[in-house]
Amino acid sequence: MNLLDLLVYPERFFSALGEKEPDLKIPAVIALAGAIVAAAAGYAQSSLFSEMFSGMDAGAGVGAFMGIMAAVGAFFGFLVIWWVVMAGVFHVISMIFKGSGKFARTLASTGYGLLPTVIGSVITTLILLTYLPRISVPVVRNLQDPAVVQNAMQELMLDPAMKEFTQVSMAISILFLVWSANIWIFGVRQARGLALKQACITVIVPVTIFILYLVYVTFSGFLIPGGA
Amino acid sequence: MDHSGIVLLLFAAMIAIIPVSAVEQQTAAAQVMVTNVTLDPQVFMTDDTGTVTVEVINNGAQSVAISRVTMYDEKIRVQSRAYDTTMYLGAGNRMTFTFTVSAPVPDGIYYPVFSMDFRDAGYLRYPVKLQVQDKPLKVSILSKPDVFTGGKKEQVEVLVGNPRDNGVSGVTVYPAGDGIEASPSSIFIGMIAPDQSQKVTFAITPRQSSSLEIHVDYMNGINSHAEVIQLPIDLGKSKRRADPILSNIQIERSGNTYSLTGDVNNAGLEVANAVVITTGDSVVPVDPYRKYVVGTLQPDDFSAFEVTFTAEGTERVPVEVSYKDNDGNLYTTTTIIDIPLTKPGAQGTGELPIAIIAVILACAAVIGGIVWYSWRKR
Repeated sequence: MNLLDLLVYPERFFSALGEKEPDLKIPAVIALAGAIVAAAAGYAQSSLFSEMFSGMDAGAGVGAFMGIMAAVGAFFGFLVIWWVVMAGVFHVISMIFKGSGKFARTLASTGYGLLPTVIGSVITTLILLTYLPRISVPVVRNLQDPAVVQNAMQELMLDPAMKEFTQVSMAISILFLVWSANIWIFGVRQARGLALKQACITVIVPVTIFILYLVYVTFSGFLIPGGA
Repeated sequence: MDHSGIVLLLFAAMIAIIPVSAVEQQTAAAQVMVTNVTLDPQVFMTDDTGTVTVEVINNGAQSVAISRVTMYDEKIRVQSRAYDTTMYLGAGNRMTFTFTVSAPVPDGIYYPVFSMDFRDAGYLRYPVKLQVQDKPLKVSILSKPDVFTGGKKEQVEVLVGNPRDNGVSGVTVYPAGDGIEASPSSIFIGMIAPDQSQKVTFAITPRQSSSLEIHVDYMNGINSHAEVIQLPIDLGKSKRRADPILSNIQIERSGNTYSLTGDVNNAGLEVANAVVITTGDSVVPVDPYRKYVVGTLQPDDFSAFEVTFTAEGTERVPVEVSYKDNDGNLYTTTTIIDIPLTKPGAQGTGELPIAIIAVILACAAVIGGIVWYSWRKR
């Protein structure tokens, strides 16, 4: 198994896998690696919330709790959304084209295709670490008032450094998502026995929708759970 | 000559001699005249008591027998008794008669009559001019601060003028009032001549809002008089006092400790001594700058300062600036400063850094190349 083929020449990679029983170990490792990176990014981002609630007596506790929750949420968010849900979407769409093949094979192909996304996550996490000290964090002193918390969140999202990071993160995520989509096309084609055109439609439609959603939430200021 | 003849002769001689003696007495009395009249005080005030001293001289060559000397008037009350004892005023001699009088009358000029009765020679009547003038001393405040401040010593200048036609004596000025300290406690001026004035200065230190009374006691002859003027004292802020203003305030947070830095400017007109800056009760001052001692700030002078504190459950920090004036009075001003709701960051510039753009472009180029390559190799 040559991971370079997976990244550069996916058709040859998946052809090499042939019709063997799908092995989920490596895709799971890739997905777990992505989940760990997402958890690390989530924990790093949660430091902003620790600062946000530091004005309260229980601010330190709230910050630590939110850090753990962010890491756990990002970890499972990546595993579920980016691997299982994405594979499910591909599998369901491919049914339209009467695709054949087990879901495990689709799951394995999708997991392999996550490798560029994991690389993108590593890059955006490193960039996040450079942006964190530059972000001005609003301090919330009254957690009982939802309006205060909402205003603080909005203020955080509108922070120039935060906006800048969000846009950079979005651009890199989209680029690596395109790369992953390129791999998914050949993977899904192989896994579901589709024509290339059918495989393109199966992958490009949900990915395009996702990219549009990503662009939308980036400019409307809404975070994606587990997103890189 | 028999006895009856002798008696008749003596009787005739007495008849001849008696008219000659009365004439001589009248001639001698005519030489008595008033030479000087002295009043003390020179000018009376209403209800004043004083003395009128009349000096007479006998310019004749014979002594004059005086049977009674008195003074009388309808309005001016003569309190002393008349001189009822027969006395002789020798030739060329002087004699003074003093009468105690009081003047329970309004302003005006009165003429009580000095009367001297001669034995067998008529009398001397002499109206004495006695002026009653009910003008008291005039007291005025020459200068005072616009606003008195509690515990702060201020200079008050008082002018005491004498509008009367005679001088007054024993003039003493002293301030009084609730919660008021004065230095000196009183000033003795003494005599103030007619149409003259004297200026005195007191250092007044009020402790509370009250009324400052300037008392002036004086004597007109033997009569005590007093004048009082009142000066209301409402404690407030002096227009000239030092006025520390905080500016260029910045709050930075490091862990749970806030560091507040800024400048303190003296925007007042007086010097602020021993300026100390600290934080108020709602926060907890911590080292290294629990308090910051600035020292002396001249008017228009400024100094940087820094205080460190922790703040839990509060969004504001009271910054207290205390200083002393030249009298050592302590003043404290408190400025409430909002603790910023944001943790200060370096902020974005609004433009993507070149390195980031390079990373994105590199990624785009690499990924684009890979995708193109993967499709080209099919």
